[in-house]
Amino acid sequence: MALLRFGSDIGPAGVLLSLQEQLERFLRNPNFSLGLSAYGGFPPINVFSDNQGVLVIAEAPGLDAKSTNLSAQGRTLTISGERKSDEPKGDSGYHRRERSVGKFSRSIQLPEGLDLSKAEAKYEAGLLMVRVPKAEEHKPRQISIQTGGR
Amino acid sequence: MAAQELAAHEKQPVEGQEKTRAGRYFRPDVDIYETDDGLHLRADMPGVKDQDVEVTLENGVLTIEGKVWVDAYKGLSPLYTEYNVGNYFRQFELNEALDESKISAKMKDGVLELELPKAEAAKPRRIEVKIG
Repeated sequence: MALLRFGSDIGPAGVLLSLQEQLERFLRNPNFSLGLSAYGGFPPINVFSDNQGVLVIAEAPGLDAKSTNLSAQGRTLTISGERKSDEPKGDSGYHRRERSVGKFSRSIQLPEGLDLSKAEAKYEAGLLMVRVPKAEEHKPRQISIQTGGR
Repeated sequence: MAAQELAAHEKQPVEGQEKTRAGRYFRPDVDIYETDDGLHLRADMPGVKDQDVEVTLENGVLTIEGKVWVDAYKGLSPLYTEYNVGNYFRQFELNEALDESKISAKMKDGVLELELPKAEAAKPRRIEVKIG
């Protein structure tokens, strides 16, 4: 499995290039089952794994964290909420209006072997990051070796 | 579904001009609105931390640049992706007379909030029409 490289040998430009390549390779990865919901909703999501479990990152700038809902049922994680515009006050006119606003709701099905009841989420720099740890029985376990007694 | 439903909107890569930094750049979505006091700009730059934005105004050209927070992805293996990451870049030619000394910028939750106040002389003035 490809691990995003962050060696000091490649420098910051190399880190970004390598990250972009990796993300490109897994773009809409057909081997990953999203469940019932298909690709194409807001917010766009990336799903990663590491040795702790799975990390879901959604690019969702300008959300009000308090009115954003995260819920889990079975293996399904649902993100919903509303993105509002800060309406200009007084006489005004839009020169450009490209940022979309409105309600959203997305569900994705996570891989097996995770414990969604222990999921934690944070919102930083417009990224909603949901960490879902592995279920206890799926965590790697150290097995101690008994030495023969005398 | 409701008319207000948010649709998926893919990030647009920057085309044309080549940047010195390698990798792909994205063009942030913006809202720009004008009031009597000035121009107000909002730019979506998800994945850019507060201190990693640079805004410059030179010869009437406003440049917005944001460096993406690469470390958020450190040590992770992708399983499935819908978006790519990159730095952000966009330029605007400004025709309005602005008070450059009063421009202010703020980052909040991946959104750049830029206030560009008009120069005093450019503000609309109400001229009273005397009757009689």
